[in-house]
Amino acid sequence: MPGWIKGWVLPVLLLIGWEAGSQAGWLPLDSTSRPSLVYQAALDGLKDGSILQATWQTLEAAMLGLAFATVAGVAIGIMLGLSARMESATRPTLDGLRPIPSVALIPLALMLFGFGLMLEATVVAFACFWPILLLTIAAVHGIEPRLLEVARTLELGALERLRKIILPATLGRLMIGLRLAVAISLVVAVTVEVVINPRGLGSTMMAAQQSLRSDVMYAQLIWLGLVGWLLNALTHRAVRAWPGGAGAPA
Amino acid sequence: MKARRINLEAILFAIGLLVCWQLFAEFKLISPIFFPSPIKTLATLYERAADGSLWPPLAHTTLRMIYGWVFACVCGMVLGLLIGISRNARAYLEPSLEFLRPLPASAVIPVAILFFGLSDSMSIAVIAFGSVWPVLLASIHGLAQIEPRLLEVAASLRLTRAQTLWKIVIPAAMPDVLAGARVSLSIALILAIVTEMQASLPGLGQDILLAQRSFKSAQLYAGVVMLGLLGFAANASLVWAERRLLRWRPK
Amino acid sequence: MKAALAIVHDAAATGSERAQPAVRVLDVSMQYGSAAPVLSSVSFDVKQGAFLCVVGPSGCGKTTLLRMLAGLIQPTGGAVEFFGSPVLEPSRDRAIVFQDYTKALLPWRTVAGNVSLSLEACGVAEPERQSRIGQLLATMGLAHAADRYPHQLSGGMQQRVQIARCLAQKPRLLLMDEPFGALDAITRQGLQEEVARLAVESGTTVVFITHDLEEAIFLGDTVIVLAANPGRIAEQIDVDIPRPRAQLEARENPQFLSTRHRLFGLLQGH
Repeated sequence: MPGWIKGWVLPVLLLIGWEAGSQAGWLPLDSTSRPSLVYQAALDGLKDGSILQATWQTLEAAMLGLAFATVAGVAIGIMLGLSARMESATRPTLDGLRPIPSVALIPLALMLFGFGLMLEATVVAFACFWPILLLTIAAVHGIEPRLLEVARTLELGALERLRKIILPATLGRLMIGLRLAVAISLVVAVTVEVVINPRGLGSTMMAAQQSLRSDVMYAQLIWLGLVGWLLNALTHRAVRAWPGGAGAPA
Repeated sequence: MKARRINLEAILFAIGLLVCWQLFAEFKLISPIFFPSPIKTLATLYERAADGSLWPPLAHTTLRMIYGWVFACVCGMVLGLLIGISRNARAYLEPSLEFLRPLPASAVIPVAILFFGLSDSMSIAVIAFGSVWPVLLASIHGLAQIEPRLLEVAASLRLTRAQTLWKIVIPAAMPDVLAGARVSLSIALILAIVTEMQASLPGLGQDILLAQRSFKSAQLYAGVVMLGLLGFAANASLVWAERRLLRWRPK
Repeated sequence: MKAALAIVHDAAATGSERAQPAVRVLDVSMQYGSAAPVLSSVSFDVKQGAFLCVVGPSGCGKTTLLRMLAGLIQPTGGAVEFFGSPVLEPSRDRAIVFQDYTKALLPWRTVAGNVSLSLEACGVAEPERQSRIGQLLATMGLAHAADRYPHQLSGGMQQRVQIARCLAQKPRLLLMDEPFGALDAITRQGLQEEVARLAVESGTTVVFITHDLEEAIFLGDTVIVLAANPGRIAEQIDVDIPRPRAQLEARENPQFLSTRHRLFGLLQGH
């Protein structure tokens, strides 16, 4: 059996078993639904645009939070990377803030922003900030010293040095961490939605569960899995294509 | 044994931040409703510790996190072992795992509620599902890159499969597995908090959500600080355990 | 010292076994697919208790040959016999010392733990195991390092640990794959003398692979020179320099020099 077929054996068997078991009455319809119904619910959701709208809301929050985290993380990371003194001065404070689980900030963000986009984006931003910060610092430390010497010989000003050498070199290495950051942003966004925020796929899934529409719930779950997988694959491609991002661990 | 240099600047920086925050709060430059002063936060924390109301929720969250994490580690290691040593198992299972991996664990909460209701079992099931991935993937990876020379030594000594597994394969994969377990624990904490908030289960997660609802911001911040400490303590204990178990590693 | 070494090898051969060669390599060839053969029609015998050195340039197939003797790989043509029986798989009777000692030692076990691995594999029970480990470590000069981890030791010490672990198997054949190649000259010479002495006193048959001609002549009772592309025997010479051989004197021995002269040309020519 060729390799790629083997990978499908398990899912296909599972689907068949699920449908057959449900039709035969062995599986409770309310909680487990069945593939045929789930498929129908997915089609309906796509047709009336509800799934797509929810997906967009989730992605919007994830990307916005990621953007915040990137700007803050790269800026602070470059500062701390270039100045060992600043890094050692801020390290204990940052180490103290880092263990705070991002989700613990949900009530705080709720208090400050109320329900909506900003609530999610800020929690996502907090979660993604740390890996981006650490990677940026490491990237700055790893800049080929030869390049910085070239900058000095050419008498580049601080801003030019930043723009032409530090930033490109850093961003190249940062791409390696992009997959992780993107994955985190999606996960945290969905989490905030599941817990409290009435927008996006997380909350529509909760709503489906609460109104006992398990078919809609499973449809959206599988859809979310596809979205996550697709996002992961696209990011992987993007990292590969970026000069300096090649050779990133798979 | 390491020389302890007192990092004066770091201490000054941290204190400086706290002092600024305190001053802003005192002079009402920031709203005391949303940003209680550090002193108020610490006072609340102290109060709750003193009157004993801090400990039960802390215990609940901690236990939840640990149960789910242990379950995830066992499943992850066993499954990782099976997949790691059998090329066939890999071919059949890996694609499905690749699909499940990026799925946010919190997305299975509604499914778990359908099956378990709003209960501790739901919480632990979700925690286990979410935390299994790092330790599973780390186990697979650790097994995949065992020094082939060591396996030749095992063959030369005619070790049985069981002996090879116990004496060579598992110790060789330990560093990766332990690193994965550490990541799993931080995910377990996050999911413990999330499920508590979601299902109103007793614990620190529920505490801070309730504090938000009644606008008791000092209590909220105190709870967040507590969760940060819990996260720190959990990670630190595993680092300590790792250091002891992996004493043999070159620095 | 002799008592300690007696535990290394139990010479319990019967009369008829004594006459039999320890190893017979019968017209062995090795070829991967349609690529050029690595080894081609190699045949030789190794007498019991003899020290055979196989020398050759890189690519002559000497490591492949050694792994065949160990049973880790099978020849594509011909056969290998060990005390009359065909070699089809690895055996504790044939211990192999690898060149990359760092990779061949268990980094998570101490020196004593590494030696213990062989004894555990042989099913030696606890109290005896401890005393055997102690004796082996003493033999190899490792007693003071028993509780250290491999990464804390020098290259020479690590190789000693590997040798100790192999000796713990009580092998009838000791295979050594360029064991001193990664060590500095002084450590190498010290270990050469030790191995030569160990082999003689325990009576173990040894097959030693190296690319260093002088090392081969110094250590061996017989030296086989392999030519490359494909690997085949170019020459087989007996070295009659009396034992024990000291580093300085042996290398000035006229037979040493004449053998070296004769074989040098063979190695250079390929």
